[in-house]
Amino acid sequence: MEMIKAENLSYEYIKVIETEKGTKQEKILALNHVNLTIEKGSFVAVLGHNGSGKSTFAKHINALVRPTEGVLWVNGYDTQKEELLWDVRQSAGMVFQNPDNQLVATVVEEDIAFGPENMGVPSEEIRKRVDESLSAVGMLEYKEHTPSKLSGGQKQRIAIAGVLAMKPECIVFDEPTAMLDPVGRKDVMDTILRLNREEGMTIVLITHYMDEAVRAEKVFVIDDGNMVLEGTPKEVFPQVETLKSYGLDVPQVTETAYELKKMGIPIAEDILTIEEMVGAICQLKSTI
Amino acid sequence: MIRDITIGQYYPINSPIHHMDARVKLMITFLFILTLFFVNTFTGYIFVVLCMAAVIKTSKVPLKFMLKGIKGLLIIILFTAFINVFMTRGEHILFEWGIFTVTIEGILMAIKMCVRIILLVIGSSILTLTTTPIQLTDGIEYLLKPFKKIGVPAHEIAMMMTIALRFIPTLLDETDKIMKAQQARGADFDSGNLLQRAKSLIPILVPLFISAFRRADELAMAMEARCYHGDENRTRMNVMVLKSSDYKAVILLAVYCIALISLRFAATQLPFLW
Amino acid sequence: MSIKINHLTHVYNPDTIFEKIALHDINIEIEKGEFVGLIGHTGSGKSTLIQHLNGTISPTAGEIILDGENIHKDKAKLKEVRQRIGLAFQYPEHQLFEMTVYKDVAFGPTNMKLSAEEIDKRVKEALQMVGLSESVYEKSPFELSGGQKRRVAIAGVLAMNPEVLILDEPTAGLDPKGRDEILYAIQQLHKERGITIILVSHSMEDVAKLVDRLIVMEKGKVAMMGTPKEVFAHVKELEKIGLAAPQISYVLTALREKGYILPEDIYTVGEAVKALYTLLKGEAKYDS
Repeated sequence: MEMIKAENLSYEYIKVIETEKGTKQEKILALNHVNLTIEKGSFVAVLGHNGSGKSTFAKHINALVRPTEGVLWVNGYDTQKEELLWDVRQSAGMVFQNPDNQLVATVVEEDIAFGPENMGVPSEEIRKRVDESLSAVGMLEYKEHTPSKLSGGQKQRIAIAGVLAMKPECIVFDEPTAMLDPVGRKDVMDTILRLNREEGMTIVLITHYMDEAVRAEKVFVIDDGNMVLEGTPKEVFPQVETLKSYGLDVPQVTETAYELKKMGIPIAEDILTIEEMVGAICQLKSTI
Repeated sequence: MIRDITIGQYYPINSPIHHMDARVKLMITFLFILTLFFVNTFTGYIFVVLCMAAVIKTSKVPLKFMLKGIKGLLIIILFTAFINVFMTRGEHILFEWGIFTVTIEGILMAIKMCVRIILLVIGSSILTLTTTPIQLTDGIEYLLKPFKKIGVPAHEIAMMMTIALRFIPTLLDETDKIMKAQQARGADFDSGNLLQRAKSLIPILVPLFISAFRRADELAMAMEARCYHGDENRTRMNVMVLKSSDYKAVILLAVYCIALISLRFAATQLPFLW
Repeated sequence: MSIKINHLTHVYNPDTIFEKIALHDINIEIEKGEFVGLIGHTGSGKSTLIQHLNGTISPTAGEIILDGENIHKDKAKLKEVRQRIGLAFQYPEHQLFEMTVYKDVAFGPTNMKLSAEEIDKRVKEALQMVGLSESVYEKSPFELSGGQKRRVAIAGVLAMNPEVLILDEPTAGLDPKGRDEILYAIQQLHKERGITIILVSHSMEDVAKLVDRLIVMEKGKVAMMGTPKEVFAHVKELEKIGLAAPQISYVLTALREKGYILPEDIYTVGEAVKALYTLLKGEAKYDS
């Protein structure tokens, strides 16, 4: 079953540019005939530098932006159709980059309740969902705290819980760790992985951190609105030069393996983790 | 300095007043303020002060906290006293000095007016000190609902209040940061004449506004993503239910009002009650 | 010119229930022309420390000596100190406010009441140092890309000709391309101008390549101090503090633990490739 399906998805907008001869309008193609399928229960990462169109794509999944050409289905709902708007948003929740700018209420539990309240869920059920969602992100003890006193990572987990309380089948994360410190990043990533593995949640992670993308089942690379690479991390990351040309990083271990291979060492190219690298070196050493 | 501002400060403690329904508290406070303008005798004021003392005692909030609100209004209170002392005409002149005439009536009037302001401030402080901002906004939304028919956006007002309360600490932090950053670039906020000082605020205000707009934009998107579409078909996690204590409070309020009316009536018959 | 921090302690909200010791007996000496990395996670006290250096916070106890003079002794001289020790806060682009890039960068020198020619000279120099060409001078700073905005903001501090430049998380929130641009500009500054730089970061991979010396902070104290080689040799201790060493140093540590003979001080891809190549091709002995 597919969760998200894009067919020839394009998004064009008009940008007003100031030049010396007054203002000029220019058409910008943020997404150019994108085709992709994301299966239910999978964990995919979408990579690209700032301005590549990856965020625009993320906003399409939540029908915050609608295609100017082509179709996008979320959980079988066509995002173009106004009457399906709430079904789309309920199926696919969204967590944004800045944790400060997505929390609405002054008390954590009130914030989690915001989504279900909008959906018209009965109050008893909301209470249950608030507790469940907060436990799922490990923040139950902060139920009565005020968000402005929490750390970035904690706020981001509250934002995730707020989306979970809407019982979506898919969550889109738009660079959720870009503004966090290493501890916060780790907490948020662990939460995302747990949601995928334990709750079977479909995860779409928009990021430019390679160590996060490595953990996905599938990786899509967007550059200037075009879907340029697609595959498992093992297929995508060994293309070191190509990724660098798109302004992206490669994990240090992958780059090291790539360089060693260039120097004539018969090492596997698809090394993504520290363990794999250590294993590969040991194996090579024993065969020499 | 800028961080010291507390808005809608809540004093977290368990008391019968804290447990009351926000709607009832709002209504009682509103009526209480109205009664203050109805009272015109000293006996009446003594009665109101005694009632208020009883409420403060029940709320378990230290008196010190209540009086904090008055400190900020000291200038207004003194100004009111000044105006009343010098501007009230009366028969019993105490002394005259140029255009200023001080009369007994004037002094009595000044005392009454000041007591009225102090009672008003303490009365509303009891409300904010014993009610969380969320309960308060929920209460306001509920009470404004009947006025929706005449175009009062009850839900929107409440939502705006909630968001304002949520973002005030964030924006204060931000202001602090921007000030420090501009200071690091040699900005000077403390010297020069009024015009120069006003001008020196531009490097703070422009980034602050831009940031506020950016936040507003992102927040609007995040709210939409969480299915926000006004109060149509919206449910609430906390449903407000009136408890027996709320009914008791309403009865007490009625007794209080009757007592005030009787006092006022009595005062017309028995002038020594002034 | 050197900065000497002697027994610096800072307590927030002393004698109240909110009392928090942010810095505890810090002793650091920074030489002229040094490139120092200051590392620690949120709440470790690193932000409090750099604000002391810039004179925006006063110490509770202890002193900061700049060229033999206590900078907090004479309040009237603080303005001069702030000019000599430039501080670019986190997300400095949030402080841009002028209509054009040129004017914004000129804000600092104008506050210093310099002559028009001198201001012009400094603005142009500063923008050139961060790698921004004349074509952006008259643009609105808000039109620029994320990486460019940040460079304008850093130029705004540079235009005051500081002897020391402190940068608080200059790469936070940028994509790999923007990050590389900023780091390159900083590196050039250090090389060409010989300016003392204190770089605050939690990205070990960024810092490792650049700095002469690392100061690791934890809970308001200096936990480790030394060259990157010395610090990254202690991968385990860094982990304990909640900081990660560059990915590749974990690979080499793991291999060393397995008995392979590898140098202890490797933390960049280039060095790792060389060392592993020698290990695999060369005469390094397997020591069981």
